[in-house]
Parts: sequence; structure tokens; C-alpha cells
Amino acid sequence: MTRPHAAAVLAAAVGLAAGRAGAMSGPPLDYTLACAGCHRADGGGTPGSIPPLAGSVARFLRVAGGREFLARVPGVAQAPLDDAALAGVLNWMLARFDPAHLPAGFVPYDAAEVGRLRHEPLIDVEGVRERLLEAIGHRRFSP
Amino acid sequence: MTANRPWIDRLVEGAARQLARRTSRRGMLARLGAALVGAAALPLLPVARAATEDPRMPPPDDSKLEGAVGDPTSCAYWRHCAIDGFLCACCGGSQNACPPGTEMSPVTWIGTCRHPGDGRDYIISYNDCCGQSLCLRCRCTRTEGEKPVYFTSRNNDLLWCFGTKSRAVHCSVAIVLGVATRS
Repeated sequence: MTRPHAAAVLAAAVGLAAGRAGAMSGPPLDYTLACAGCHRADGGGTPGSIPPLAGSVARFLRVAGGREFLARVPGVAQAPLDDAALAGVLNWMLARFDPAHLPAGFVPYDAAEVGRLRHEPLIDVEGVRERLLEAIGHRRFSP
Repeated sequence: MTANRPWIDRLVEGAARQLARRTSRRGMLARLGAALVGAAALPLLPVARAATEDPRMPPPDDSKLEGAVGDPTSCAYWRHCAIDGFLCACCGGSQNACPPGTEMSPVTWIGTCRHPGDGRDYIISYNDCCGQSLCLRCRCTRTEGEKPVYFTSRNNDLLWCFGTKSRAVHCSVAIVLGVATRS
């Protein structure tokens, strides 16, 4: 057993060291350049610093005000992307990172809606987020 | 003669012979090799997490690059087009890996650099290596595609030791995450 195991580990190490690179365009590319630095490639976030998207982000769509919050939260609203690209990233993130919580009949964001929402500054971000999390019933989201 | 040797000598000889009878040298070497390779893979795990599920492509070929643009210890290395910090390749690490004793920050800033060989725009993640004082070797500051500090996610003046045990920054790596196909 030892040899195949060692070979598998070696192959994995060599594959990683080679730094194989995937081609990206559209929403995955925009996510990588504008969001993944903090929320990370897998949407896992960083406990204590950056909220996770994976397994949680679509829950916001299930409570009043949540849909608006996702487009107004500063990291989204201020992303260096135009309205159409931003709507594309939002829809992609929801489907990619939290399909299980996507409500039935979810209507995708479009450029007009995102353009309107991102121009309404969210001043009390923490307060609004806290109230939404309470409505969702998951006060202990990290961070 | 055996009886005349000191007791510790006999004890060690007995233990050594018993060990030799019970164990296989090849087995030990194989296990040791597996452990070493496994240990070598560990520092690369943050890179694995940063990788995507998109179709795999060959990595950019640096072997034909001449001079500083192909040298990871040079500020002019192509991946460093927007780095700000000390190059880990000069600090006991490499362009991909943190030096021993430091921890790679999972939070990072990401941009693109054009490869001078194939002309493609590669997505580069500038991760800080944290947990030791400043390396102070190979200082490098370049700003292609960098944004002012109010775009925090695209600014390289910040220290990026978030989510790490220590906030002390040592050096910075430049990891290729993929290739951007948008023109």
C-alpha cells in the first residue's frame, strides 16, 4: 500500500507545484478579480474576518430586504464592475456557492436593478446585516 | 569476550539487532519518503484552495524568458507587475511558496500580469507570508492595474496578513491562479 500511496501524494504535489492554470472569463473571472481575494475561490471566506458565501449567501433572498442587501453591501456595490457585469457576478455567486438555499422562482438580478440598488448607500451595514441574520434565524454566522 | 563489554554496549547491540530483524529497510525508506513528500505538499495547500475547477491548462513557460523578466528573485519578473513588498524568492521561499516558519495569508489581492512569452494575461494572487518580521531583501514596488486605497481589494499598500495567526508581514508571493481570457 505504501508505494501507490506515496505515488499519489507525489503526483498531487507535482501537479500543485506545476501551478496549472485554468482559463477564466465572464462572471468567474470577475469574481476572481473583484471578490475572491477576500471571499476566496471556494466562497469559504475567512473565519473571524470575511463572511462565507458558500452555503449561506442565498439565505438572504428568503427574507424581506435580503435581495436588496446583497446588491447594496459595500463589497458588491463598490466593486469595480459595471451594472451588467455586477448582476452577472451576483447571479453566478448565488448559483455557484449556495444553490441549496436559492428560493424556487428566483428571478435573476439584471443590470437595471443592480444599478438602482448600488446607488442607494447602505450606511448602517452591520445593523442591517444583523437584523437580516436574525430574520433568517442564523445569528451565529461567522464572523 | 562478550561478557567483558560494558552492559550498555550489550544493551544497544541487542536492541539494534532486534530492530534489524523486525523491520524492513525498504519499508522504512518508503514510509520516510512518503512522509517527506507529504510534508512537501503541505505548504502548497493554500494554493490548492485558491485553484479553480475550470479546465486545466499548462502553466506559463518561463524557461524561454531571458533576463530579469524570467527571474523570480528580480523585481522585473513578469508576475511582479503589481506587487508591493519583499520577494519571497529572496527570503527562503519562492514565487509560489512562503519561507519556512511563515504562514500564507488566505486573504489576498488579485490582479493580472501579461506573460512576456505568450502574451496572455494571467491572474495573479499576491499573498503575504506572515509570522516573522520584515524580510528586508529584494524590496519591490510595482503598480500595474493597482487602484487607490479606497478600492481596498485592489490596493497593494495594505498589509494582507488577515486570517493568519500573526499580522506581522515577512514577504510576498505571486501565485498564478489562471489565465484571463477577456481581452
